[in-house]
Amino acid sequence: MIQNLEINSNQISQMNKMSSKQRKFRIKNLELFKKIGFPNKRDEDWKFSDFREIVEKNFKTLDATEIISKINKIKLIKDFEHNYIFLINGNLDSSNFKYEEKGKIKISSINNETEYQITDNPLICLNHALAKHGYTLEISKNYRFKKSLIIYNFFTKDIKNKILNSKNFIKVSENSEVHIIEYTINESKFKFINNVFENIILEKNAKLRNLSIQNNQSEGFFHKHLKNKQYNKSDYSNFIFSSGLKFNKIDIECDLLEENCKCNILSGVFLNNEEHQEIKTLINHLAPNCLSYQRVKKVLSAESKGVYQGKIYVKNIAQKTNAYQLSKALLLHDSSEFNSKPELEIYADDVKCSHGSTSGSIDDDSIHYLMTRGLKKEDAAKLLIKGFLNDVVELIKSNSIKNFVQSKIEEHVNGHRTD
Amino acid sequence: MLEIKNLIASINNKKILKGLNLKIKPGELHAIMGPNGSGKSTLANVLSGKNGYEIAGELKFNGENLKEISVDSRAQKGIFLAFQYPLEIPGVNTNNFLKTSLNSILKAKGKKELDSISFLKLVKEKSSELGIDEKFLSRQLNVGFSGGEKKKNEILQMKILDPTLSILDETDSGLDIDALKIIANGVNSSRNNKKSFLVITHYQRLLDYIKPDYVHVLSDGKIIKTGCSDLAEELEKTGYTKLS
Repeated sequence: MIQNLEINSNQISQMNKMSSKQRKFRIKNLELFKKIGFPNKRDEDWKFSDFREIVEKNFKTLDATEIISKINKIKLIKDFEHNYIFLINGNLDSSNFKYEEKGKIKISSINNETEYQITDNPLICLNHALAKHGYTLEISKNYRFKKSLIIYNFFTKDIKNKILNSKNFIKVSENSEVHIIEYTINESKFKFINNVFENIILEKNAKLRNLSIQNNQSEGFFHKHLKNKQYNKSDYSNFIFSSGLKFNKIDIECDLLEENCKCNILSGVFLNNEEHQEIKTLINHLAPNCLSYQRVKKVLSAESKGVYQGKIYVKNIAQKTNAYQLSKALLLHDSSEFNSKPELEIYADDVKCSHGSTSGSIDDDSIHYLMTRGLKKEDAAKLLIKGFLNDVVELIKSNSIKNFVQSKIEEHVNGHRTD
Repeated sequence: MLEIKNLIASINNKKILKGLNLKIKPGELHAIMGPNGSGKSTLANVLSGKNGYEIAGELKFNGENLKEISVDSRAQKGIFLAFQYPLEIPGVNTNNFLKTSLNSILKAKGKKELDSISFLKLVKEKSSELGIDEKFLSRQLNVGFSGGEKKKNEILQMKILDPTLSILDETDSGLDIDALKIIANGVNSSRNNKKSFLVITHYQRLLDYIKPDYVHVLSDGKIIKTGCSDLAEELEKTGYTKLS
């Protein structure tokens, strides 16, 4: 039994500046969460990641009360010039858009009066009930960012046995473009849960490139639910390179609402011993002539578990849909586990949809080939691992960002023993 | 340099090499010819240290027992194998791989490792020497290379890694005449009194361009005949059947 996980309506009542409608919404969500509890494997969406079991195994106490922490300094990335936002434990701390024109970008703490649909995902319910922090980022029409935006997602060292809830909202208006890199730095040596709900709206011709990467290994248990709405000719790409967490589930739901939208989900991760990572996607093709492309690659060390559940839904009117998904796993040990569940649900008759999934271990002949050129077995294996992930990294257009990601992956892989 | 005495090699309990004897001295180029299934590639694999073979007999390289030396150390000590079927390694840039490879060999020899600039200079020099377009070095290792390009890449690797004993396992098969000349040029330009070569081939064609000091005929796991370069010409006329 988990102690201290006493979430009650008092906690909600204590939040200030809230309409009665908002209070009702929060209380309703809290009741829903209390009724279901943490999701377990009986829920199809959590089939391969029994979160209830994971929580019970890892936490004796869990506390959902708010924490306000300050930090002195965050070390900025020096590899390329960028704008930035600092989030501290999910809370918007500060921002700097020195490379951009004034008046084009609005950044503020999350507006808690935004209305959301009630869902049956208990972690979203919990988020709707308790989340107070997060950011809202709005980009005006016809504005292309000159430099990338890095979101420094910082967790302080005093976070221990906590469950943090935060919410973000990003809107890219008509004909605008932004590249966002979410960079997580975790100073806490303790276990904690981070539960994020993020809403993204891409208007006509808007373009968003999103990339997430982790600075260091940590004891975090992360869940992020992304809900995207895309309009005419909008272009969305999400590059997921984040690894190093004990548990990480990224749940992406993308509605392609109007014609000629593009949606790319690309991931290359190296999971260390005992890490558990899941990417779950639902791409809703709701209009004709849209394109979705998913490519997910995972390298799995001993006792690690990788999951990919990818669903493509094609509505009857969504003719000429082009949807593709591929997942590949490289298993480094007998105890590594990979679960893949591709799903296609198609109601239109003139579409191109395909899926594939492979898993295997490192090829002995390739190791031999590299060793005949003087490489040690371990170095040969590392080279093959990096090569395996590289075809996702190669899709990053900016050379400086690509090199940065490559160096981070290299750190992860080199820090690992392959034997 | 290389001394093989009564070498027996089996894989999955099947005996392939059945008592092979061969001695290669510094500066010599030996050619091994033989029909399909005679054990030519097995010999190359065993010399490179490939897993899966049960080995008996003596295998010495510069006086050291090769059987006790790992694959990578063999390379570091100067043995190079040009593969019959070079492997495609997706995601690994050819240049980066070659640099890692060369530096691990230099490091093992106690020599100074090359930085990117001097490495690229070396690559440029060697590839132009061979008449190979250096562009394919910025591609992924052997991925999408034609058969000829893969073989040329092997020879370029040989030139850059600068081994003392190079084993070419049917490097000539599947090559057009221009590619064949490039391969031959790669070998001939490396020959000196310290470097040795073991060229495994099916055809005499390659030996028109590379003059061997000795030609051996391998049949059913044994060397059944040894001669000078004339032997290759004779084989081309008569075939292997008459010999066995």
